[in-house]
Amino acid sequence: MSSLKMPPQVSRLVLLTLGIVGSYLVARKLLVPKTFGEYGWYRGAALEENAAHKLVFAGMKSCDECHSDVLQKLGKYEHKTISCESCHGPSRAHADDPDVKTPKGMFADSDCLRCHQSSPSRPLWIKQVDPLDHYRGDKCTGCHVPHQPKETP
Amino acid sequence: MNHVISRRRMLGALGSALGWIASQPVAHAAKAAVQNLLASSHAPKGYDPTKHKWLMCIDVDRCIGCGLCVDACKAENHVPEASSFFRTWIERYIIKTPEPGGNEVRGEVLVDSPNGGRNGFPPSTVPREEILKSFFVPKLCNLCEHSPCAQACPVGATFDSPDGAVLVDSNYCIGCGFCIQACPYGCRFLNPETKTAEKCSLCYHRITRGLRPACVEVCPTQARIFGDLKNPVENDPVQEFVRKNKVFTLKPHLGTEPRVLYANIDKEVR
Repeated sequence: MSSLKMPPQVSRLVLLTLGIVGSYLVARKLLVPKTFGEYGWYRGAALEENAAHKLVFAGMKSCDECHSDVLQKLGKYEHKTISCESCHGPSRAHADDPDVKTPKGMFADSDCLRCHQSSPSRPLWIKQVDPLDHYRGDKCTGCHVPHQPKETP
Repeated sequence: MNHVISRRRMLGALGSALGWIASQPVAHAAKAAVQNLLASSHAPKGYDPTKHKWLMCIDVDRCIGCGLCVDACKAENHVPEASSFFRTWIERYIIKTPEPGGNEVRGEVLVDSPNGGRNGFPPSTVPREEILKSFFVPKLCNLCEHSPCAQACPVGATFDSPDGAVLVDSNYCIGCGFCIQACPYGCRFLNPETKTAEKCSLCYHRITRGLRPACVEVCPTQARIFGDLKNPVENDPVQEFVRKNKVFTLKPHLGTEPRVLYANIDKEVR
């Protein structure tokens, strides 16, 4: 029977190993975040944190809630693919509180030329003008209505 | 033989049990405190990431290089103002006519992206008659199925989420920059304010609320098409896009299997 007794150096080694493994397990339990491994090798809560950011652009559906008449009319013309906020600017604040104005009220010629300035890089289907050759007596909006581009004011 | 428990053992056992019970809330509080220190979570519920698979289609023939997408992205995601930080940007490709008498079909290829195309593109210095063809290519995170950036991250701070968006956990990012080197599409940068890696999140805060990403929202020509592979709608724009066009991805030889599809691009686009 005495031959089965563990030598003291071995039992100390076993105790030490158990101590190291145990403290590792305790530290791991304390340090690994709760949602780590929920979907993969990352914190599952990070998805929700990314989703929690505040909106800046409201989206066309929000505009439609109050301005459906404008949108319906816009839908009949060439500019129908353009979202409200493309020209009027990010408007989440305006959607939350209508007293807050949208960032852009008046339109400069540069807003039109952003898309319609002629360029060899632009596809041919988009209407392009060279502002130097085009009629220069007035602002763009003097002759063109942005919501109904084929109509005159 | 003797099954009677001594008073000493009984008291000892009771004491240790009480000690264990008392230590539980302390241990829980300690764990919660440590976790709060490492990351804080505050979240809207009701969105199941396993029930979606997002993708983006880019129709380069529709892109007019107006730069509204770049501007909108900067505003929506509070991207640093400096002209070297973009989550999405537009490149202008100019392919020059080949030298006469040479054996090339195309001449030199020039690519530029002044301020990411945010303010549109000033006229090129290349005269019109020297241009064989020119076009705009919007760029963004390629939403790789096998993301090199997520593989390179040593701390699990960037990852492929189940719905296809490749996200950054800014609370866990240590700012080492490995992911920035790993991305073959140059879609990442180190935010100079937070010192963490940043990239296109596909406007994760918008898509989880049922909205389109900001760039898709403002694109005036529908050059960007956003869709959900797991929830196709009637006349699904993504299926329409794949049916109508020759569809490519960028750098297919790398095996990243991007979920950003490009229609009808020239081989010069990388």
